[in-house]
Amino acid sequence: MKKHLPALVAGFGAGVLQVVPVVKSFSCLIIMPLAGFFALVLYQKSNKIISPISTQKAVVTGLMTGVFAALFGSFFEILITFITKSNDLVYVVNDLYEFIDKFPVEETVKTQVIQLTENVVNSIKTTGFSLLYSFSVVVNNLIINPIFGTIGALIGLKFINSKIQQNS
Amino acid sequence: MKIKLVLFFLVLLWVGGIFIRFFIPEINGLFYLLPFLEKTYSTVCHQQPAKLISINGHKTLVCARCTGIYLGALLSSAGLLFLKLQNKLNIKLLIFASVPLAGDVLLYSLGIYSYSKTVALVTGLLLGSAGFLYIHEGIMDLLEEKNKKDKN
Repeated sequence: MKKHLPALVAGFGAGVLQVVPVVKSFSCLIIMPLAGFFALVLYQKSNKIISPISTQKAVVTGLMTGVFAALFGSFFEILITFITKSNDLVYVVNDLYEFIDKFPVEETVKTQVIQLTENVVNSIKTTGFSLLYSFSVVVNNLIINPIFGTIGALIGLKFINSKIQQNS
Repeated sequence: MKIKLVLFFLVLLWVGGIFIRFFIPEINGLFYLLPFLEKTYSTVCHQQPAKLISINGHKTLVCARCTGIYLGALLSSAGLLFLKLQNKLNIKLLIFASVPLAGDVLLYSLGIYSYSKTVALVTGLLLGSAGFLYIHEGIMDLLEEKNKKDKN
């Protein structure tokens, strides 16, 4: 576990930031790659590494950062939804119905999508939990976060290794 | 070549997702994917309605800047199918490519000029195309390391 500590720290930070409303809005493509990069810097500092880091190490660190961020982010999002019995979907649901209504697709498709959304929103409003919503949050985060964490670590690796080479 | 093709199709799939609303009128079944994809892309973009690219009433799922970044990555991945990078990339290229985007964000945030989707798209395109080269190089380095390990 100790070898994944930098990823855990950076992943936790990213997971928390992902659910903070204002920060989340300004996070366009930034939080996860930065977390991957930050995890790699932590790894280098904590292990006092003075020779270039391998790409494999960077990829594993980025991936693990993404996985931890996905787990923490999903947990916090589901927990906040459970406590408040509300979330982004509940806020935008009326706009969503309006949008669906205007969209040029078959009526049966529209009805099915509206019904599905209504079920999810009603579950959240009454119990604070929707299995489908929670599942989609976890799956989404587990796919997206590791990819962007790895991208951040791969690009960060270039910075870190070029700095190491300059110093040596 | 195989890995380059896989990368190209992965980026193409991701970029295709951004434009899913444009395809729904032709393929109605894609409508079921829309709520899931909206949520997926919300992980990487603020999706502010005023900053989305709109064509014939259909909007992208990410802002103009993010669309530019991903289109840039797609262009680079397509280019790399036919071209080969001769030298190792210098980190300065990425810094230069990110200056216009950072400058645009800074200048419009300070209120020096108002948000322009075109500028956001173009600066994003520049960073995305340069950024993908580093991702590509990283993946190639990873494969090279793996090959060396396997030989040893």
